[in-house]
Amino acid sequence: MSDLSGFSRFARTYQPGEIIFSEYEPGDSFYLIQGGRVRITKIVGEIEKNIDILQPPEIFGEMAILEGAPRSATAIAVDTVKVLEFNRANFEILMMGNPQIALRLLRLFAKRIYDQKRRFMILTLEDPQAKIADVFLMLYETQGASSQAGAEVDGDKREFKVTVEDVAHWAGMNIAEAQTILGHFSNQRRVELYQDRIVVKNINDFTRFVNSKRKK
Amino acid sequence: MPKVGVYRANSVIYFQGDQGDKIFVLQRGRVSLNYSDIETGKDIREVIQTGEFFGVKSALGRYPREENAVVLEDASVLVFTVPEYEVFAAQNIRIIIKMLKVFSNQLRRVHKQVENLMENTSAVNPETGLFKTGEYYLRNRMYSQAKYVMGRYLTYYPAGRMAEQAGRYLESAETALMRYGDGKGPAPLAGSASPAAAQRKSFQEAEQVEEEEEARPAAQARPAAQAKPSPQGQELPDAAKSYYNAVSLFSQGKYQEALKGFKIIADAGDDPEYSAKAQFDMGRCLVGLSQWDLALQHYTRIIQTLPKHPDMADMLFLMGQAWEKKGDPERAKGFFKKVLTMNGDEDSSARIKAKKALNAMGGT
Repeated sequence: MSDLSGFSRFARTYQPGEIIFSEYEPGDSFYLIQGGRVRITKIVGEIEKNIDILQPPEIFGEMAILEGAPRSATAIAVDTVKVLEFNRANFEILMMGNPQIALRLLRLFAKRIYDQKRRFMILTLEDPQAKIADVFLMLYETQGASSQAGAEVDGDKREFKVTVEDVAHWAGMNIAEAQTILGHFSNQRRVELYQDRIVVKNINDFTRFVNSKRKK
Repeated sequence: MPKVGVYRANSVIYFQGDQGDKIFVLQRGRVSLNYSDIETGKDIREVIQTGEFFGVKSALGRYPREENAVVLEDASVLVFTVPEYEVFAAQNIRIIIKMLKVFSNQLRRVHKQVENLMENTSAVNPETGLFKTGEYYLRNRMYSQAKYVMGRYLTYYPAGRMAEQAGRYLESAETALMRYGDGKGPAPLAGSASPAAAQRKSFQEAEQVEEEEEARPAAQARPAAQAKPSPQGQELPDAAKSYYNAVSLFSQGKYQEALKGFKIIADAGDDPEYSAKAQFDMGRCLVGLSQWDLALQHYTRIIQTLPKHPDMADMLFLMGQAWEKKGDPERAKGFFKKVLTMNGDEDSSARIKAKKALNAMGGT
């Protein structure tokens, strides 16, 4: 890791349990973790969901690059956390002296652009059923490698640790509509619905279905 | 070292969907990136300029290529592996900065596109979202987190629709934190006990409760709840607005600026209620600034002129604290004990703090 001793004026320390920023708070800074772990959470209904646990030298809050956008999640210190805090105005100063951080940020932006484009692809589908199916394809593609989502059960069957609310959010529709469509898929035996997960019986069937609905 | 690749016209450097791990720079010839627009399905051709990089995003982000890179005229390209590119870029930091700007613009654009299509779904307004986040933490006895979020609410929306309630919640969180500690204590909000009930007790209902409270005679309300009612859609009175502005400065630790704000409200005396509150908070700023003598003088003057000030117990506590900091534990104890002998709310934060302070100083 590059030498960051010259950046002490950007250093911040947070105690365990302390909030670094809250969901919905306007944000203009992003953070580079130097020590300790940071928990990223979101309140969905009456449950605080853990989205991620980050550690050095990860960067978070980078969506602050979008002017005026409220934070989409809460960042809480798990341990005593040391970070460097930057904003659009001063990040160039840090990057100039630290190509490794600049590259890390570049990789992160590349990934975020892809994630957003992928979400956009779901939203541009006109058929609501195709939207829901495409949410699972997105989860399968982007998180397929991790054991959390898209875990192979057997053959073409895939299990996703998501709720109807999550699916509705990604599909950009209300929960009732998503529920109806998932119920329909369930009647067709294309999915199995559980409290904490959804099983797609044949992921390739969903791929074919979505492709047939996409504009060519 | 990057290799040179030579491609014939009409050949393809990479296909959409390929897993790409190479980054290219066009040295000579013509290359076009072909893809179809996500929204319209229309075919798009982007011609690469000589000296321009392509294939960067998918290689760095480790995702499939999003376009076909088609050679229009015989071309030679420099081919970097990701590690080679990183070594090269690290020595040409200007290139990374330039690319970061390009990427952040692209990110903004695609984010906007997503937002436009999300518009018709029930997007939560950030003000309400922030308030509800704080409410969630308070309901679940996560007092430090509730304190932070309510503090931020007051910082960003000092005259917001829920500012008064946020102020009250902030105080409840502070008191509960002091008295019970995080995760402990009785239900701080209606619905805290059972999560299912909590869900039904939505923010709207909480607002109704607030209105009921406001209908009660003011004398029954607790001091912090005495602020004038601000029905939905109606602006807070000016004094309240300036007051919460100063409170928000205080919560950010900007004591000097907060002090100025409170002094203006106190001196103006337009609204007796806010002027009394501001008087009290001026002392808190002085304590925050470690100006012990000035804080003591300030509170002594208030006690003499307004012996029935609603924040009396808190003032006495702060005076005790100031004496302690000045190195006079005997006088400090005197003030802390005085707080405990006062009539009033057994659970008040001043009493709890005074008890704690006395214990810490070695008994009562």
